[in-house]
Amino acid sequence: MARVKNRLRVLRAERDWSQAKLADELRVSRQTVNAIENERYDPGLPLAFAIARLFRLRIEDVFTPDA
Amino acid sequence: MQLDPARRPLSDSGALWFVVSAFGSLGGGWLARGAITNATGVAGAATSGDWARLLAGLASIFLAGVAAWKLARAGLYSWLLPLAAANLFLLQPGRAGDLRTWRLEWGVMGLVWTLAAVLVFARLLRRSDELERRLHLEGAFFALAFGLVGSVVYALFENRLPVLRAQWVSVAMLVAWWGGFQLKALRYRWHA
Repeated sequence: MARVKNRLRVLRAERDWSQAKLADELRVSRQTVNAIENERYDPGLPLAFAIARLFRLRIEDVFTPDA
Repeated sequence: MQLDPARRPLSDSGALWFVVSAFGSLGGGWLARGAITNATGVAGAATSGDWARLLAGLASIFLAGVAAWKLARAGLYSWLLPLAAANLFLLQPGRAGDLRTWRLEWGVMGLVWTLAAVLVFARLLRRSDELERRLHLEGAFFALAFGLVGSVVYALFENRLPVLRAQWVSVAMLVAWWGGFQLKALRYRWHA
């Protein structure tokens, strides 16, 4: 279970992107995007930075520690 | 719990290509081996039926190769694990016979296959994302644990069990690796 909350699903919905489109942008599998969105998996730092960069946000605007 | 609605269809998941490739190689091998055995056996000459079986077998093996290539091109490397297990069963490199030339030939073939497996594994890791790498690592650990427990169990009941062949160990570990990968992937595929 993930220990970090994220806004990936909201950010993706705002841009009307599918999971497949986001996966293509990040060069990961759609299953990985699904696992992160459902907070089943915490991405590593390089992928977390890539996500933040893609949405033009700071990393802490996408990911927050689960209190 | 509900199934992820965006799951890929069967053809995209690789299951279809896996089935085509596994049945193609096993069926093709069976047909070709039967034709060659018959043609070089008691009769001593190939009949038109033998030629037809040989051609059908070779076509089937070619189709299996195309399906395996499709899996590799689509980056569905986890399906190559059970496929390798199925083909190890077909090849049975242990049955080389007693002639030294035969053993040398099978040894070289084994080396080529091992090199190919290492290259595919390296490509698998390079092309996988971080979650897939983690799943493969967990799957490989599952196979190792399965192999260790299996070897202890075999040692305990060795006198009552048939002689263990090296390729069966390889097949079991490949299947365990793939099983471990699928089992661990379930955790990420389902959501509340």
